[in-house]
Amino acid sequence: MNPSKLNFIVIDDSKLDCFIAEKIIRNTGRSESIKSFLHATDALEFIKNNTQDTSEFKTILMVDIQMPIMNGFDFVEAFDKLENVNRENFIIYVLSSSINENDLNRVRYLSSVIQFLNKPLTSNTLSALLDMIN
Amino acid sequence: MKGSEKIKILYIDDEVNNLNGFKAAFRMDYNILLAENTVIALELLEKNADIRVIVSDQRMPNQTGVQFFQSILTTFPKPIRILLTGYTDIEAVIDSINMGHIFRYIRKPWNEMDVVSALEEANKFYLAESILNSKNKELQKAYDELDKFAYSVTHDMRGPLLSILGAVDLSKNMEDINEIKYMLSMMEKSVLKLDNFIQSVHEYYNLKRGELHIVNVNFNEIIKDLLDMYEISGKLNAIKFTTTVNQQSTFRSDEMFLRIILNNLLSNSFKYYRKDIDNRFVNLIITVATHEAIICVNDNGIGIPEEHIGEIFKMFYRATNEETGSGFGLYNVSDALSKLNGNIFVDSKLNEGTRFKVVIPSK
Repeated sequence: MNPSKLNFIVIDDSKLDCFIAEKIIRNTGRSESIKSFLHATDALEFIKNNTQDTSEFKTILMVDIQMPIMNGFDFVEAFDKLENVNRENFIIYVLSSSINENDLNRVRYLSSVIQFLNKPLTSNTLSALLDMIN
Repeated sequence: MKGSEKIKILYIDDEVNNLNGFKAAFRMDYNILLAENTVIALELLEKNADIRVIVSDQRMPNQTGVQFFQSILTTFPKPIRILLTGYTDIEAVIDSINMGHIFRYIRKPWNEMDVVSALEEANKFYLAESILNSKNKELQKAYDELDKFAYSVTHDMRGPLLSILGAVDLSKNMEDINEIKYMLSMMEKSVLKLDNFIQSVHEYYNLKRGELHIVNVNFNEIIKDLLDMYEISGKLNAIKFTTTVNQQSTFRSDEMFLRIILNNLLSNSFKYYRKDIDNRFVNLIITVATHEAIICVNDNGIGIPEEHIGEIFKMFYRATNEETGSGFGLYNVSDALSKLNGNIFVDSKLNEGTRFKVVIPSK
């Protein structure tokens, strides 16, 4: 049986990092769709406007921490407050270059975040993650 | 000693004769404030924040000197305390030293030499304490800044490096030469971003540690260098760069600091241009009047959202998602300006442009 397809959302203010993530995701062959956003606010807007999405697939969301205007923590907080969103459908990872203790601890306490991932994202890490999701 | 320079001493004693005697003996050298009870003493302390030394009698009807000193331990910690007593009451002395933070103890009847020496020592101690206090504050500020610095530096240096690492890893399995070339151009941007950041750190360090080096500044010379520097990036993005210098008189300032200010303002103008218009411009006007230089940098770029204008001079603050910003530039500008006693004014409209006006006095 083939593993199920997934929707992907990548939020990172670095164009190159978005590009890398998109490539790696595409290479896994599991992407139904990939959306990347340089601004966390745009991603939030997108999610808000697509609450009626009856997609049968889960959405993997990867968000960076340090970004101007709205950082990763602000984003998760705002996401948690969104109404009419089927949270069950979202699997959220933080993908960051941060090695700061405070950041790591803060991520641990975010109940809606599954795991902290170190940059750069590699095919091996992503494959291992996706193998756990059916 | 001039009147204005006399240090303020508060003397508390319930006997009016003692008060008058003390004032008569020391008023030439000190600004003596008198209180015949501790209630008046408190009022005087509240009104005179610059009282450096408090001399108090121990035996007073309502409150002893030690009790008074103890009561003002947290409310007025700064003035140095001296206790006067006619009784060789060793308990009082021990108490006073332990509980009232007493600096000196003078036996009554006092002789002038003892009092003068105690006052002078107290004043020295006061000055040393205030220097220590302000140094500690500076140190705390430096620590706070260092924390912030370390946090952002790891992000701003690791960020581009890890991007490149990710790109290298990805390129290993790429066959399409065009795709590889595209990756290389993206990696180049990351390298430039990192280099730009390191240069800003270098500027930051120069500003923090640098002593002012005041010379006669010729703005025409500086402009020549700036024109060379920005001509290329101007051509690249079709931005018209015009400069006007009107320098009639000599202007004395630190040239490196001026260059840091000009460079950061200009590089922002060249960086944050509007992609949706054709007649892009950056305009630099420098006018040197008798005692000051006025520098104006105008552009018709993306502008700064109103709600962010108050924040743009803070370290690592970035008001835009444009990738190239380090959040260092305008912080360095305001740091340099504070050293040159200059001021900066910003006038900006989103999607219309930004105008920075800098006024720097000649040194």
